[in-house]
Amino acid sequence: MTKSVSSRESFSARIWRKTLAGVGVKFGLGWVGLLVFCAVFAPFLANSMPLLMSKGGTISAPVLEYLSVEDAWILASFFIALAVFRLNIDGGKQILLFLLGSALAALLVNSFVKPPVLVIYDDFRGPAYTQVDWKIMPPIPYAPVDYLRDLGSKGLEAPFATEGHTHLMGTEENGADVLSRMIHACRISLSIGLIASGIALAIGIVIGGLMGYFSGVVDMLGMRLVEIFEDIPTLFLLLTFVAFFGRSLYMMMVIIGVTGWSGYARYVRQEFLKLRKQDYVQAAVASGLPLSSILFRHMLPNGVAPLLVAVSFGVAGAILSEATLSFLGLGVVDAPSWGAMLDQAVKSSTFNWWMAVFPGGSIFMTVFAYNLIGEAFRDAIDPRLSDKAGVKS
Amino acid sequence: MLTYLLRRLLLMIPTLLGITVLVFSVMAMSPGGISAQTLIGGMDMKPQEKQALLDYYNKRYGLDQPAPVQYLRWLNNVSPIGFVSDSQGQRGEFSFSKGMDLGTSFQYGRPVSDILAERIPITLLLNLVTLPFTYIIAIMVGMKAATQRGSAFDLGAGMSMLALWSIPTMLAGVLLLGFFANVQYFQWFPTAGISSREAQDMPFLPYWDEGGFVRGFLLDRIWHLILPVICLSYGGFAALTKLTRTSILENLHADYARTARAKGLAENDVLWKHVFRNSLLPLITVSAGLLPSLLAGSLIVENIFSINGMGQLAVEAVKGRDRELVLSITWISGFLTLIGYLIADFCYTLADPRVSYD
Repeated sequence: MTKSVSSRESFSARIWRKTLAGVGVKFGLGWVGLLVFCAVFAPFLANSMPLLMSKGGTISAPVLEYLSVEDAWILASFFIALAVFRLNIDGGKQILLFLLGSALAALLVNSFVKPPVLVIYDDFRGPAYTQVDWKIMPPIPYAPVDYLRDLGSKGLEAPFATEGHTHLMGTEENGADVLSRMIHACRISLSIGLIASGIALAIGIVIGGLMGYFSGVVDMLGMRLVEIFEDIPTLFLLLTFVAFFGRSLYMMMVIIGVTGWSGYARYVRQEFLKLRKQDYVQAAVASGLPLSSILFRHMLPNGVAPLLVAVSFGVAGAILSEATLSFLGLGVVDAPSWGAMLDQAVKSSTFNWWMAVFPGGSIFMTVFAYNLIGEAFRDAIDPRLSDKAGVKS
Repeated sequence: MLTYLLRRLLLMIPTLLGITVLVFSVMAMSPGGISAQTLIGGMDMKPQEKQALLDYYNKRYGLDQPAPVQYLRWLNNVSPIGFVSDSQGQRGEFSFSKGMDLGTSFQYGRPVSDILAERIPITLLLNLVTLPFTYIIAIMVGMKAATQRGSAFDLGAGMSMLALWSIPTMLAGVLLLGFFANVQYFQWFPTAGISSREAQDMPFLPYWDEGGFVRGFLLDRIWHLILPVICLSYGGFAALTKLTRTSILENLHADYARTARAKGLAENDVLWKHVFRNSLLPLITVSAGLLPSLLAGSLIVENIFSINGMGQLAVEAVKGRDRELVLSITWISGFLTLIGYLIADFCYTLADPRVSYD
């Protein structure tokens, strides 16, 4: 006799459990975690100034004094996110609380953090910072825009090529330390990936939801719009946008988001077309609920699972887009970026392998990590497509 | 079928219009509008020269008019039917046979159609060489993975294909160029272009003469194409392999496959004549989506390997803010993409007689 086993595990909890069971996804999440750590604590990991030093009895922390508004805001947001995650409330409220908190932090940081306008990195190797009782330097003692002119650096030096100052991953064409730039570049990659896909997701859900819910003429018009955005080579549209609008990081996020929604819209439309005839949706319509409530409170949570897969692949795609733009020389000016560093590998007459292997490797690892996570989500949601499904040893 | 094709072709018109409207409005909304953006390169000109150039553009393209009017003018020039316009930019009578005029590139001072006629064949050659290559490898590996499901080969192939798929084209390009074409390491392949200068005078096929072995045009072309084609193809076959595997797995245990085995067919015949043919459909659907990604890929690959194709032209046009070129390139790549979808739909009916569009 078989005993029926009833499980109280919710759908989302089951998907999480199944997703986390794989080896690949653990590696992927680990890598993304490492990136987040590097992005948040970048100024403490790679900087030219001492973390802590004691001079004539007074202890000071130069890194904290030179912390920029952006650094402080990222740190604050990170700790707000940690705190909110700890609270025992439901997901939507957590996100709202986090957004409010980080907006508040932005205001506070803007009014209270006043870093020195000019940072002269040569000074940190002068007597004021070297003749001290003791000092603790960050693990990588070079800032990303510290071009080491005082040390006579010519730029593009291979790892460990120069005596006296060690560059674990060599230097780039202006003489800045590559590893330090790589650590600071985590920020650009992560933020582009998350914010751009967030924008794309929001547009895709609204348009796809309306298409699926109303069908008919709205669907027809919407599909034409989706087709237009699908048939344009996205990279080319991005290039046009960036060339004509200028190269700001925020602009890039918006553009990647605005051009990348068509896939999400298709997914949501398909789910909503299936859901719209269901009894509970009909009941919601009959009881006169407003459209936004029907779409987002009742239908969306039931159609959201396939979106998770699309989002993780989308984040990988957005990171790749940014890297490609930077590689083609249309990226953010002067901010460290993996794509722009990769471009320097073959720019000069020689081939600088360290400029190709390290930044290129981290682009690859990041994209691979997100793809692994997406794959694991897909296997958990739709076991029929799984690689492991039905394998009898 | 014919009505279906006709309907599809007619539906392409609004899509193509939409694409150009989108790109045009991006340019029109940019700071200063199109006129300011086009003349951005003319900083070192004398004031009179600059004024003369501006006047010329104003007369030729109506850059001083509002953006919607400019767009309609452009559209009228490009569409095969419309109003005839003379050299003064004045509108003549309506005509059905005035031909298409893609305009003159601001940057190069040559007709856009001439420039495109030089560049498009190179990009098409690159992509058409890549496609069969991609499919052959993908089908081989996918078939082996599906028949040996769960084996070490299957798991290894699955993982390495995902890894291959995640390698950015630019990383692969830079590494291949750096290690296999650079003088510092192995100088096995050329660093730039799709043929060497002396190959223009060589006969088509390789031959031996008293001076030794002469490469010939064909071999020289292949030698130049190896690295770019590797860069373009690896991402595609990684995705296709996965698809082949799932699609074959679905069919491998279908009733008809069992019947075929039961009546004593050799396993190879079952695989290739029955299962494979039935697994083709998803592979064809994806081929349509593969074309746009190949076009985007050639953008990067052509820039790394300095190939004078459409991808490189696109980057140059955008960097030079060349309105006519940018619009024409978007228009043509949109058109190629749509044609790709159309061909895929057509192949669908060939592969599966049950599908018909009537």
